[in-house]
Amino acid sequence: MTIREKGYAHWEGQLRERRFPWTPITWLGIRLAFKKKYFKFIIFSSLVPAVVFLVGIYISERIEDFQSMFRGNRQLLEVNPAYFKTYLCGDFLLFMMVMILVVSGAGLISDDLKHNSLQLYFARPLSKRDYLLGKANVIVFFLLLLTLIPGLVFIIFKLLFAGNFQFLASYPWLPLSVIGYSLFVTGFFCAYTLLLSSLSKNRRYVSILIFTVYLFSDILFGFFYENYKNPAFALISLKANLQQVGSWFFRLKPAYAFPWYWSLLILLAFGIAAALVLNKKVRGVEVVK
Amino acid sequence: MIAEISDLHFSYGHIKALDGISLSLAEGAIGLLGPNGAGKSTLLRILLGFLAPQRGQGRVLGYDIRLEQPRIRRHVGYMPEDDCLIPGMDAVTFTAHFGELSGMPRQEAMKRAHDVLFYVGLGESRYRLLETYSAGMKQRLKLAQAIVHDPKLLFLDEPTSNLDPQGRKEILELIQDISSKKDIQVLISSHILPDIELVCSEVVILNKGRLAAQGKLSELRELNYLLYEIRVKGEGEGFISRMRALGSRVEETEDKLLRVHVPAELDIREIFRAAEEEKCQVRHFVRSQTSLEDLFARVVGVD
Repeated sequence: MTIREKGYAHWEGQLRERRFPWTPITWLGIRLAFKKKYFKFIIFSSLVPAVVFLVGIYISERIEDFQSMFRGNRQLLEVNPAYFKTYLCGDFLLFMMVMILVVSGAGLISDDLKHNSLQLYFARPLSKRDYLLGKANVIVFFLLLLTLIPGLVFIIFKLLFAGNFQFLASYPWLPLSVIGYSLFVTGFFCAYTLLLSSLSKNRRYVSILIFTVYLFSDILFGFFYENYKNPAFALISLKANLQQVGSWFFRLKPAYAFPWYWSLLILLAFGIAAALVLNKKVRGVEVVK
Repeated sequence: MIAEISDLHFSYGHIKALDGISLSLAEGAIGLLGPNGAGKSTLLRILLGFLAPQRGQGRVLGYDIRLEQPRIRRHVGYMPEDDCLIPGMDAVTFTAHFGELSGMPRQEAMKRAHDVLFYVGLGESRYRLLETYSAGMKQRLKLAQAIVHDPKLLFLDEPTSNLDPQGRKEILELIQDISSKKDIQVLISSHILPDIELVCSEVVILNKGRLAAQGKLSELRELNYLLYEIRVKGEGEGFISRMRALGSRVEETEDKLLRVHVPAELDIREIFRAAEEEKCQVRHFVRSQTSLEDLFARVVGVD
């Protein structure tokens, strides 16, 4: 007998207050991302550089065994802060991060706007902050999987392969740099994705926007730089700005000849714009004045 | 008492949506009525905490509408008017998700989702993608997500809109069944007056952001006016004009039957006096049962 035939039945349990009310939103977002076409392929492809760099760390410790393969290119396998920066700020990894945002992040808010589900969320004991944290943490999960986790794994394996702590003694700040940069780049991409996702009800349009803004800003930088040879044009490019700030995190010479904090300001501007737009766009009801 | 509000004000820019509304909602099924722009949805949204009132105060289930919104939402179920879904999900995951967000443990939410989906008649299609649902199924789904956490108070915004007659009947049966439980209170906002008449024992009528009428349906019918069905022979136009001059509202049906809404304070003999003076014979005079539609039209001031 179904409940319908029995009539309405009460639930005997007790509703409880969650410490982190956003967790169901995050887990749902992650589950839905894995249901998307090509997502598993993209996420596994994104992990390929991590495997290559990990192999590189192994080879660097067994360099004598692989001497015939490298002939004079030993500096390529020198594991130092630049090695970490090359991985974390590399063109391929940043591009794959953007691809993940396109597939898993574009619909985070735009789908809710299109299908009027914001009012269902806000009819629950959820604040705007909880909702946004839940959505942002979907991105955080995937991006930290590609940045923080490999970064820390590299350090651990470097120590394991070396069999001593000399590496950590030489660069004691490196774990903090890895954590700091990973959080920074993840935070930026969260703001970037949620901002664009809240601008339209059309997920495809948002996907195109996420991809195009990233790519076009870099193409524009290339165009201006080739014509005017002024490195300050790098401020136009999201990728160049991330790499510039990355250089500071890893205590390296900036990639472009201007202060790193200019890039930081540009990226923070995205964060502020995102906060303002999200505060306006994300609400339980559309108020038409 | 499920809700008490006093002197509630809310404006969208220069437009006053609520203008000093004070009311107390008793237990049971209550209908919230009013023409478009009367402030029904704004009132629901304020009670749910979507909007903060600019003036006034209130309590829902004993919780302050300004300070204790999360507590209110934990114990309230809300079925919005618009279609709402999350693409890529099936009904079980969707319903369980909102149960979890209300504070149910994950396993319990999943179990309860199955139960309520069977209850609303979506048992067989609970694993189908929501995008493939018909309008009626989406309506049932909205009801399922509103009751999954077993709320104490249910807000239903136009629950039967976009439904065919059979679907409407079934949803109304479900609402009647839910509201028959003494510990679940239901507040229904609807334009479909027969639905309210069928399900609710009490109504609140809003007009232009103000409270136009409130009370038990049976009492309101008695208190506000009396309805008579009259058939006259002779110059009907003159009689109708006289009755209107006496403060009555007169409707004429196709078969020349007059439905006369008479102010409660008017002496019935005045009707016969008017007929005599207009040289009409009263051939038919019956006190009629007033409908909610009549009450609504009179209170709101439309035909």
